[in-house]
Order: sequence, then structure tokens, then C-alpha cells
Amino acid sequence: MNVELTDLTRRFGRTQAVAGVSLTGGPGVFGLLGPNGAGKTSLLRMMATVLPPTSGRMRLLGRDPGGYGPRREIRRRLGYLPQNLGYYPGFTVAEFVEYFALLKDMPASQVPRAVATAVERVGLGDRARAKLRTLSGGMLRRAGIAQAIVNEPELLLLDEPTAGLDPEQRLEFRALMRNMGQRATVIVSTHLVEDVGAACTEVALMDMGKIVFHGTPADLIARGEGTSAAGDAPLERGYSAVLAAARSAVAARA
Amino acid sequence: MSEWAGPGDPGREVDLDRVWLNVAAGVWCRQPRGPERLAGQVLRSPGLARALVTTPSLLLGWIIATVVVLLTGAVATLGTGTPYVPLLAPAVAAAGIAYAYGPGIDPAWELSQSMAVSDRMVLLVRALAVFALNALLGLAASAASGIAAALTFGWLLPMTAACAVALAAATLTRSANIGVGAGLAAWIIVVLAGRAATGQFTAAITAPALVLPYLITALCGGAIVLFATRIPRGTS
Repeated sequence: MNVELTDLTRRFGRTQAVAGVSLTGGPGVFGLLGPNGAGKTSLLRMMATVLPPTSGRMRLLGRDPGGYGPRREIRRRLGYLPQNLGYYPGFTVAEFVEYFALLKDMPASQVPRAVATAVERVGLGDRARAKLRTLSGGMLRRAGIAQAIVNEPELLLLDEPTAGLDPEQRLEFRALMRNMGQRATVIVSTHLVEDVGAACTEVALMDMGKIVFHGTPADLIARGEGTSAAGDAPLERGYSAVLAAARSAVAARA
Repeated sequence: MSEWAGPGDPGREVDLDRVWLNVAAGVWCRQPRGPERLAGQVLRSPGLARALVTTPSLLLGWIIATVVVLLTGAVATLGTGTPYVPLLAPAVAAAGIAYAYGPGIDPAWELSQSMAVSDRMVLLVRALAVFALNALLGLAASAASGIAAALTFGWLLPMTAACAVALAAATLTRSANIGVGAGLAAWIIVVLAGRAATGQFTAAITAPALVLPYLITALCGGAIVLFATRIPRGTS
């Protein structure tokens, strides 16, 4: 298993962002759905080893990220696209991707070809030497995806990767995710349920820091069938039905 | 280039994608300049060397601003006799360190946190570079002011040296924590040795004049810990 989370929590002061999440995952594309503030980003940041958990147990790629050596090894094999991608405006696309390839400790001799491959995979070959400040939001997002995949990661964490992409680019990105998911564990946090339906083999739905559903996209669709849940598509109705059930259960307990 | 099909060899096709990737790999990537190449060899990490040359407070605009501030201070010091240089120099150095790394400062800080090259090593390398630059500027400013010389030799150069010891230890052991420990230990040994040489060993702990510096150091340490562990907004 590439990801093993056991009763993981994260607190920010009085706010419980992640409240006892347990998950396991091997190769494949895993969709993480949920409303704003559900805890998706905090969970991804913990898996990206950016944020330490408050409690619980986490093993990534068979290692405990609590130790310096294992954490470094995990980071070498990790790809991460944060929700808010920071960048150096004066860097070109290729320089940006190259910088993170170097910070991932890739052997210097392999970096140029890996950069070229990653930039081409996200369709930015014709803008490889353009400064980042000249790119559109969608192109910046693709540059961010390129840095995440440059080291052929075994664990790829993507926070809202399709934000800013046009429909054609989203189709291409889904194909890229499916391709990566054949060898790696790809975890995608998104608001767009159609991305989940098209690319994910498994899906989890988070609400108020907890996972309230875990199954296949087909399972999620089934949860919406025969209900009056809101939504234009079967997956959206499943999403709404699960959220409504989770919230009414919380209200009943209160 | 072995993928090129030769004449009369129809069974072998040209893999244009592969050829293009090899060309692009050679053309797109940045060729490191002298200082970056040297830093990569000394630090044994091309990633760390690249992180060094991207230090926000070492970009050209910042350096020019620093030089302008200190030059203005030097001219004012010479003209009026008021010690502007020593008044300005610590603030310039402090700002340089504050803007070397961190959330909201380094655009790629969040991403850097998930990288194999330790963020503490990045911070250490950048701190040394900022101190070294400010020590050089301090040496230049010493020509205008004796107080600036005292400040440079009493603070900037020792800080640069302590930082360099920390970085050397961190590079050798591949651990920023050990490096920082080594830097602090070296500094304490130098201070205490100086006190012992003058027969004032116990004064390092008991001298009332040192209470304020110790307090300031403790407060700065507390502020750094709070800053480093603060929760960025909008992260959940």
C-alpha cells in the first residue's frame, strides 16, 4: 500500500480540520470530494509532508514520514500540486520545473530530459521558454502539474488540479491522471464531480473533517438513486445524498 | 540519435518524439552560472545551489536598494557627523534575513516544504548568503564611520562566521539541526573563551549588562518559533 492513514487528525487551534481519517490506497486514481472547509486540503498537505498531523498514524510509500531519512525518501518519490501554486515570475516554464526537479534530489544528469518530458506531457512545449508571469491561469496550473510529475512520482497529490483548465485541457489532464494511476497512487482533491467520474477508480467524500463515504464512483452514483437529492448528474445526486445523510446523522446525534 | 532510420532500412522508424525530447532537454534547461555551479559543488547539491540563487532578498533589486540605503547613510554620516550607518545597517541586515525565506516571502515556499532538499538547509544557505553580503557592505561602510566598523567586526562578521560553521557542519552531516547546533556551540565557545581569557568567565552569566541582550535573544527566539509554527490562513 502506498498510503496508509490510521485515525489521522489535525487541529488548528480550536478548529478540527481533519477528524480521525483512516484510508489505505495502492496504485490508481483516488478522488477526494467535499465542500469547502471539509478538510481535503489539510489532508493532502499532511500526505505531502508539509503539515504534521496532530495525532494518528501515517505511512507513505511504506515509510513513516516522522523520521528525517524516511521523509526525505518519501519526498523524492512524491509529486504535489498545492491549491495555491506559488511561482517565481521571472522563471521560464522549463526553469520552474527544473528547479523542483533539483529540489526533489533527482540526479542532475537526468533532469533535462525529465523536464522536457514533463513539460511536453502537460502540453506546454510551445511555451517552455516563456516567463511564468506571461502565462494564463490555466497554463500556470499546467506548469504546476509538470513540476509535480517531473520525477515520475509513486505518490501524486493534486489539489484542485483542473481549476482554470478549459474543457479540452481537462480531457487531456484526465487521460494523464489515468496514465499516471497505472503505476502510482494519484490522489486528486476536486470540486468537480465529473472529473471523479471520468478518471477515478475510487472516491472518498469528506465533510467536517471526516470521511463520510468511501467507494467507487459507481457506488456513489448508487447512493443517489431513488432519492430526491439535488444534482444534474447521477454523481452529483450521489454526492448530495451522501452529504445530506451525513449531516442529518450529525444533527440527530447532537 | 541511434533511433534515426538509415537509408535502405525501412524496418526502423524515426521516433520523432524521442528525438524532440532530447533536443528540448538540451535547449530548455538553464545553464547554471559560475556562482551557482560553485555553490552546487561546495554544498554537494544542485538543488540547494538553485535555492540559493533564488533567495528573494538577494535578487538584484533588493541588493541595489540595500546599497542605496547604506550609501545614503554613509554620505549623511560624513556630512552631518550623525552615525546613520550603524543605525541603518542592522535594520538592513535584519530585513534581508526576514525576506530570505518563509510563507508569503518565498513564492514557492509551500512547494519547497514538500521537497527532498531540506527547507532548513535552504534557510541556512540563504541566511549565510545574506549575512555575507551585509558583512561586505558593512566593511565598505566602515570607511565612513568608526561605529560602522565596530558594528561590522562586532556583529556582522561574527554572525557570518557562525552561520558558515553551521552550514559547513550541516552540509557534512546532511542535517540542518546538527549544523545549527554546531554554529551555536562554536559561538558559545568563542564567547566563553574570550571571557575566560580576561578572567571574567562567570561574568558571562552574572553581568547585569548582559541581561538585556539575553532577554532580546530569548524574545527573538520565541518570535521565530511562533512565526515558523503559525498556521497559514485558508489551509483547511
